[in-house]
Formats: sequence, structure tokens, C-alpha cells
Amino acid sequence: MAKIVILGAGISGHVAAAHLRRKLPKEHKVVVVSPNSNYQWIPSNIWVGIGRMKSEKILFPLAPLYKKKGIDFKQAKAISFFPEGDKTETKPYILSEYVVGDNKGKQEKVTYDYLINATGPKLNFEATEGLIPGENKTYSVCTYTHADHAWDGLKSLIHEMKQGKKAKILIGTGHAKSTCQGAAFEYILNVEQELRKHNVRDMAEVTWISNEFKLGDFGMDGMLLSYGGMTMKSHEMIEMIFEDRDIKWVLGAGVNKIEDGIAHYENLEGEYKTETYDFAMLIPAFSGHGFKAFDKNQNDITEKLFKGFMIVDADYTAKPYEEWSVKDWPETYQNPSYKNIFAPGIAFAPPHAISKPRKSKNGTDISPAPPRTGMPSGITAKLVADNIIDSIKNGKESLDHKGSLGNMGAACIASAGYGMTQGSGVSITTYPIVPDYEKYPKTQGRQLGKTFGEIGLAGHWLKLALHYAFIYKAKMRPFWWLIPE
Amino acid sequence: MTQRISKYQRFKMMNPVIQFFKFIYLSIKIMVVVAGGHGGTRTNN
Ligand SMILES: Cc1cc2nc3c(=O)[nH]c(=O)nc-3n(C[C@H](O)[C@H](O)[C@H](O)COP(=O)(O)OP(=O)(O)OC[C@H]3O[C@@H](n4cnc5c(N)ncnc54)[C@H](O)[C@@H]3O)c2cc1C
Repeated sequence: MAKIVILGAGISGHVAAAHLRRKLPKEHKVVVVSPNSNYQWIPSNIWVGIGRMKSEKILFPLAPLYKKKGIDFKQAKAISFFPEGDKTETKPYILSEYVVGDNKGKQEKVTYDYLINATGPKLNFEATEGLIPGENKTYSVCTYTHADHAWDGLKSLIHEMKQGKKAKILIGTGHAKSTCQGAAFEYILNVEQELRKHNVRDMAEVTWISNEFKLGDFGMDGMLLSYGGMTMKSHEMIEMIFEDRDIKWVLGAGVNKIEDGIAHYENLEGEYKTETYDFAMLIPAFSGHGFKAFDKNQNDITEKLFKGFMIVDADYTAKPYEEWSVKDWPETYQNPSYKNIFAPGIAFAPPHAISKPRKSKNGTDISPAPPRTGMPSGITAKLVADNIIDSIKNGKESLDHKGSLGNMGAACIASAGYGMTQGSGVSITTYPIVPDYEKYPKTQGRQLGKTFGEIGLAGHWLKLALHYAFIYKAKMRPFWWLIPE
Repeated sequence: MTQRISKYQRFKMMNPVIQFFKFIYLSIKIMVVVAGGHGGTRTNN
């Protein structure tokens, strides 16, 4: 009998648990340890944040589903890792702490044969002074509770605008090293459309603020894409959309401090500037959770497991941008020191950024961290699950399933406004996610036929279809596994 | 404000009939890109 413990029940943890349970005989145990009682389909938070979708529509409780499917669920958070066990426990384990109920605060050693760390990012709001969701007129849409607050804030501002108030809206990244520009991009377009629907667009100045060097960088170094029979650069496409919607932009901005209605930032020129606003949604920095790891003699071995996020089979040798290679990116998400530990989704430490790193004239790093969106999070989780299943079935380590971000496509269906007939979406697919300059030297590292953009109502329908399909899949309804990650 | 998307382009972007076919086309194309397989980069696979 093997016991597989999965930390986190986000996109990657849940996908891994579902596939493991479906494919492994019942004698093997699948255990999920996660502090949140609900599964949430994060991409739809954008619509929660504009009041077009109730948060209940994007979440469901995990405990009943896991019980029905034979997955053990502990509503607890992992605290530290003991990959060799300790003096009294011979098996490797995770020290976890229950977060609710009678057991709240109680710690437990959760032993495992295989461990999947799918804890995603820590939303590191503290890295930017004053950036607190719901305070200083700043909001977030990174969780459903944040998105609910964001809608409350936006709704009351729209109300004031209807009374004649002129307002400034600021949306983008809230730290010099933030990632997830795509989510902020979706939100700014949705907010802009909502203002038009409420007939207050002319009362608002809408501004994009970002650590990107150019629009459309998205932490992926931008891309050359096919659009409407032409080949254009992503910054040209996004510039067209922003100009058409009268959205201003501030680029190369490392937001470092928030005061009530004022965002302080440094730009690449080394200037210290401010933007005032009445409503802001700024994506925080993402970081690792600060887990500690110990060997069986209680010596600190954190550096064997973590480099902020979890160390996997990537090439972490420091090298300049010009020498970055697609081969630096991991393929199996296995920790090199402890081969029974894996980290798919956002939980793994990337070897480096994807976008060219830039510093301000004062030496401050201002450039996006690499994004790891939902589709690669699901795909990497599934391949990790498949390798564990093969290893258990074959009785020896099997790593046949591989999936580097340099050999994987991603679709970013960015909602640009909600509505079955009035909605819109910007659909961008990229292949590969990490540019491969050896294979595609003339097209900025990407395959043109598979890297394309589309704007229109179909994009909205697509995003809505994905919402329903992925929630169906997450609920493990009949034939859920036929829906690809 | 600069009008960067012409009225005709906007009509095409928002016309439900045209967009229905675009929806089918995009769904298939995205499926091909995303579900069309993945692998390593270090060996030939
Ligand atoms: C607003 C927004 C919109 C987005 N839109 C899109 C989109 O349209 N398309 C797309 O592809 N991607 C999108 N993304 C990105 C996508 O949501 C992420 O790529 C994905 O959620 C990453 O999955 P994950 O499982 O690695 O991490 P997460 O989804 O963050 O899951 C992490 C899990 O770990 C748990 N956890 C945290 N700490 C602990 C601990 N100590 N112990 C145990 N468990 C812990 C958490 O509770 C959570 O369940 C969006 C992101 C945001 C914020």
C-alpha cells in the first residue's frame, strides 16, 4: 500500500488528487492537506470583482466530494517538511496544523510515501508597504473573498460617479517583481466595460500600471503572434486595445508603497513618482510560503528543498539572459534530493524569469516574475500524478511523463467584458510558454501557427465555457477526465 | 481617445453569427495547442 499526500487543493493539487484516485486501486491512500474548505475556480474571480458573478458560482466545498471519492481530506496547513522522518518517526512526514474545528491549532505528523507540494504562491502583500486588500482604496481579485471586496469598492465608486464624482482607477501590478499581469489585464478591461454599462465611463480616468517594459509582455517576454492574417507583436495588439478603450498606461513601474489613494513607484529611469486613484486593483508579489525542512537529526535542510519555492529538476545555475535556455526548465517537477517529492503548478521554483530582467538606474529590479497559469498548473500536476502511479504500479521509479514549459502550449482567454451578446474576450495562445530560440529563432522563440490572438465575443463565450467545463471537471462528474487540463 | 478598431472590425467582433463560427474554430485550435501534447526539451521526445 502506498500513501500519497498532496499539499494544497488549488488547480494543481486538486487535479493530482483526482487523477491519482481514479487510476490507483483503493488499497492506496490519497490524502489532501489544505487550509481552505472550498475549491475555487480562480480565473472567474474577475467576474466576481465586477459583480457579474456571485462567488458561490466559482466555488464548492471539498470535504463532501473527497469523502464520496475516497480521498482523505485534512483541513490543515503544512508547516514544515521532514523528508527523512525524525528520531521517533521512521517515515518521511509533513508537520501540519489544523485550521478549523475542535482540532484547530493541533499539530499532526502526516506521513507519506510520495508527497506532492501543490501549495501555489503566498500572496505576498506585505512586500509592498500599505498594499492591503480592502484598505487604502486598494483591492485584489486573487481570491473570491478579495474579489467580493473589490466589487463592493467598485460598486460604491460607480454610485458616487453617478452623483457626479470624477474618479481615477488604477489597475496593474503592486510590486516591482509581480507576475500574473494577465489577471490584471482582464480586470482592467472588465472594469472599463462596466463603467460604460453604468454610463459613467466619461467620469473616469482608467490607468494601467505595470512592471512590464512593454505592454503585452505578460511576464512572457511578449510574443510575436498571428492576428487577423497579420503577424504582430503582442505590445502592438494590447496598445491597440488600450488606445481604443481610452486606457492610459504607466510601464516599467515598481510600486513600492501605498498610501490612501496614492501609489508610490520607481520607474526604470530611476525616478520616484506617484499615481493617485479612487480605486485600485494591484496584483501583489508572489512568494514561497517560507516552509522549513529538517533531516532526521533535526538539522535545517531547507536549502535542499526550497529556493523560495520548491527546488525541482530545473537548472538553477545563475546566468545572463542571453544564455538562458529552454532546457533550464524542469520536466518532471521532482526534487533532486528527495525523489519522492514533487512540486507542480506555481509551487516549483523557476530557474529564472522569462521576461528580460531590467533594473532601474538606482539598481532596483523592475521586471515581471514568470507566470504559471492554470493550464500548465493542471498539466504538470497530471504528469506528476501519472509518474507516481507508474512508479507504484511498476515497483520502481518511473519518470516517463514529461512536460517542460518550453514544450507546452498555454491559452490565455482574457475576458474583456461580460455579457452573452455584449461581452468580449482577448484570446491569446502561446506555444511554447517559455520561448525556444533554438527551435524558433526567427519568430521570437514561438511557433507562429500556434501563437495567435483573437478579439471578440467568441472569447467571452470561450471563457464562460471553460468556467463551466472546469468546474464540472473539478466536481469529478461523469467522464470528467475526458476534459483536458 | 483614438479609435483603433474600425466600425467594420467591431461589427465582425461582436456579430453573434460570425462569432459562433469563430467560437468553434477557436475551441478546436486551442484544443490542438493545449491538449496537443507536451514533453521534455532535454532529450528527443
Ligand atoms: C485573478 C486571477 C485570474 C486568473 N486567470 C487565469 C486564467 O484565465 N487562465 C489561467 O490559465 N490562469 C489564470 N490564473 C492563474 C491560475 O489561477 C493559477 O495558475 C493557478 O491557480 C495555480 O494553481 P496552483 O494549484 O499551483 O496554486 P493555487 O491555485 O494557488 O493553489 C494553492 C493551494 O495550496 C493551498 N495552500 C496554501 N498554503 C498551504 C499550506 N501551508 N499547506 C497546505 N496547503 C496550502 C491553498 O489553500 C490552495 O488550495 C489567474 C489567477 C488569478 C489570481
